Amino acid sequence: MKPVVLMVGADKGGVGKTTVSRTVLDYLKAKNTLVRAFDAEHPRGTLQRFHPDVTEIVDVTTASDQMRMIDTLSTSEIKVSLIDIRAGLLAETLDTLTEVGFFDLVNAGEFNFGLMHVVGSSVASLDEIAEVLPFMKGQHYFIVKNFINDTSFFEWNPAIYKNYFKGNNTAVEVTIPKLNEMAYEQVELAGVPFTDYIANKHANGQPANNSLVLRGYVRTWLRHICDEYDRVGLIERLTDRRAAAA
Amino acid sequence: MRPSPAAIVTSLHARTGKTLLARVLGDYFALSGRPPLVFDTDVTEQTLRAAFPYDTVVVDLAETRDQMTLFDTLARRAPEARVVDVSHHALRKFFKVMFESQFAAEAHVRNVEPIIFYIADRGADAYEEARHLRERFDDCAFVLVDNAFVGKVKDKTRRSAAYQEMQEHDLRMTLPLFDQELADALDDDPALSLGDIVAKPLSRSETGRMPGDLAFDQRAALRAWVMQAFRDIHRLTRTIETRAPALSPVAPVL
Repeated sequence: MKPVVLMVGADKGGVGKTTVSRTVLDYLKAKNTLVRAFDAEHPRGTLQRFHPDVTEIVDVTTASDQMRMIDTLSTSEIKVSLIDIRAGLLAETLDTLTEVGFFDLVNAGEFNFGLMHVVGSSVASLDEIAEVLPFMKGQHYFIVKNFINDTSFFEWNPAIYKNYFKGNNTAVEVTIPKLNEMAYEQVELAGVPFTDYIANKHANGQPANNSLVLRGYVRTWLRHICDEYDRVGLIERLTDRRAAAA
Repeated sequence: MRPSPAAIVTSLHARTGKTLLARVLGDYFALSGRPPLVFDTDVTEQTLRAAFPYDTVVVDLAETRDQMTLFDTLARRAPEARVVDVSHHALRKFFKVMFESQFAAEAHVRNVEPIIFYIADRGADAYEEARHLRERFDDCAFVLVDNAFVGKVKDKTRRSAAYQEMQEHDLRMTLPLFDQELADALDDDPALSLGDIVAKPLSRSETGRMPGDLAFDQRAALRAWVMQAFRDIHRLTRTIETRAPALSPVAPVL
């Protein structure tokens, strides 16, 4: 299998980017796909708090950490690398990757690349998408509409939305449903992967005392998300680059 | 150790005798030495609370916190029996949460035996619902309750596939008919202890409210009715306990 880089990013903070990364890690684990993760929320490391076993904190603006991520892609036994980009640094990171020649390698077929772009509900997100689109020609571009933190509808005008995508119809829309607030809050407090919360486990593997009801909410929510990732063929797309170009 | 029963009393429509059956179950468990925890999902009427004022928790299933109070307590490893009166308003929400939380599987792990007591009525939709619940919760004991008081099943209902299929169902009980005056007396006095009716000696010399403000003949008729219901509940709970558990392994996380 060709090494895969899946980037999760957003230009705006608070849109639930790390939550999406967490669901992807749970999804890949459920699909028996080994993954390593890089958390670019340097130095805080929110993703690392939930998935410490597979996550390293990196500063994507430094050459040494870029090397840690990119130069090890071919040598690592783990073929899927998820990079959780710090809020506001998405376009800058894509620029950096272009500069270091990463996309040349992707285009040469050495790696597969996908971006999960977590967008907010306001029309300002469309400008954000427009900024990212030039980098995504021929790549796997997932626009993630995240409803987890609010119930507000997306105010995108369909005509304007379509206009932004002129000439690029490879973008795939992914919808993350809302999760019961109390359930979300309790998983945050527990500081464990969603799957561990559902399985009623502490971070150290010991049995926890999580509410049966809240576990049910998280289970149903995560199952819907996994169905959504199945629907868009997340793994299939990332492991067969031709699908994006087709 | 014997499992703790968690009796879930429900029906699709109102006025089918749910709360009466919940009262009977509560008193049965109390007299069997397992005073129950009682939950009333009817936040408006709270009729069951009047019968068990000190042991009843009223829960509003629209609230997550109340859902937690209910299901987390129902599934707790503890010797008490539990009785839930699921009003027809709360039926959809209750069973949605029950399904999504995999309540039955977790309850079994904690030595709690959930039993759905479903009261059918005259309409075909009531039997459709019975069949649906039985299939959806196939890891949970399901008792079909015929309440003679709701009247004869309609001919159209008898011809329905769901009704005919449910006739083959083995776990069932009947609440026999009793007269309207007695029904009114029970309605008017929700605090009247059915357990007392059975446990206290029946004597013509008793007067006043010992127990209930009922004439001797009424008390005798009610006593016979409650005894019949207790016998049925005893038979059913014993049968369910001695059956190979309808355990479904706890489902995978995803």
